[in-house]
Amino acid sequence: MNDGPVSTFQFLGLTFSTANVVSGLVVFLLVVAIVFFTSRHLAMKPTKGQNFLEWLIEFTNGILKGSIPSNEVSGFGLYGFTLFLFLFLSNQLGLFIQLTFHNATIVRSPTSDPIVTLTFSLMTLMLAQFAGVQKLGYKKHFTNYLKPFVFWLPISIFEEFTNFLTLGLRIFGVIFSGEMLLKLIWGLATSHGIATMIVAVPIEMVWQGFSAFLGAIQAFVFVTLSSVYISQKLEVEE
Amino acid sequence: MLSHLVVGSALYFGDSLFYAICFLLLLWIVKVLAWKPVTKMMQDRADKISSDIDSAEKSRTEAAGLVEQRQTALNASRGEAQTIVQNAKTNGQQQRDQIMAQAQTDAQTLKANAQKDIAQEREDALAGARNDVADLSIEIASKIIQRELNADDQKALIDSYIEGLGKHHES
Repeated sequence: MNDGPVSTFQFLGLTFSTANVVSGLVVFLLVVAIVFFTSRHLAMKPTKGQNFLEWLIEFTNGILKGSIPSNEVSGFGLYGFTLFLFLFLSNQLGLFIQLTFHNATIVRSPTSDPIVTLTFSLMTLMLAQFAGVQKLGYKKHFTNYLKPFVFWLPISIFEEFTNFLTLGLRIFGVIFSGEMLLKLIWGLATSHGIATMIVAVPIEMVWQGFSAFLGAIQAFVFVTLSSVYISQKLEVEE
Repeated sequence: MLSHLVVGSALYFGDSLFYAICFLLLLWIVKVLAWKPVTKMMQDRADKISSDIDSAEKSRTEAAGLVEQRQTALNASRGEAQTIVQNAKTNGQQQRDQIMAQAQTDAQTLKANAQKDIAQEREDALAGARNDVADLSIEIASKIIQRELNADDQKALIDSYIEGLGKHHES
């Protein structure tokens, strides 16, 4: 029950992982389906689906409002909402569906791969840079790196790099370890027949529930930190 | 287990590109499908609620004004009714007093007239009686003078006179 060999394929000179592409598409379709089916009959008096969608939008907007000034939130609301939904479903996907085909994993949590999480981390930091330049202009944006004094520049640049790494690796670590432990417990369950099965299945269920909780927390933390990084670029440091 | 993390095995950076494109596409789809209409609906609702609150506040103050108006009108009409009743009472009192006084004076006048009439009547009667007595005395005197009379004659005479008197009075 260990990780099978990573099945990859070449396309346009780039290497793709089958598991990531397939799971990514599954999450993509899930997000589209949720958004599509909850937004069908929009009315002034919201019904079930619309209530849920509006609650979710209020929730992610609330996360953003925690750090971004409220008059700027509207520009990042869509990003925060989509990011939260995508990461949340990605985190949960591997807990319930793990498909293996020809001894290689095809469907698992996309966020249990550091390349995927670092892609999202990079996207957030690029958005932060872009928003900073758009709001303050090139000059003010880049002189922020020289605050509080000129010699701070290496530390500022290093901070960008560590932000990129920690933002991506935090969510990866939690989801990856959660899935690995699930696999280990499952390996224990199937090692000695019925006897270990009885012991291990409740543990597996408990860990699954805990991982679902952790996945939600990590999606929340990722969006929160994204909004913090974006808000840092929106103001001139003193 | 960590084989795909080891540098040297084929790293699949294509996934980065794939996820970036997927996410951008997802952003666009979510925006078109849900974000725009739902946020617009939420904004509309917020506007409607605030306008509802404003109009409720307005109608509340209007209602309060109306209540005040009605209260003052009610008080005014109550006062008016009271004055009307008061006026009617005093008018009635006055009228009664007037009528009573009128009746009193009328009765007084009637009584005075009656007394005057009675006095007149008595006066007239006394005057008549006095005249009669005078005539009678003169007649008696003339009769006595005309002839001498005995007691019987005298008596007959007096009786005849008295008879005559009664006749006279009767007539």
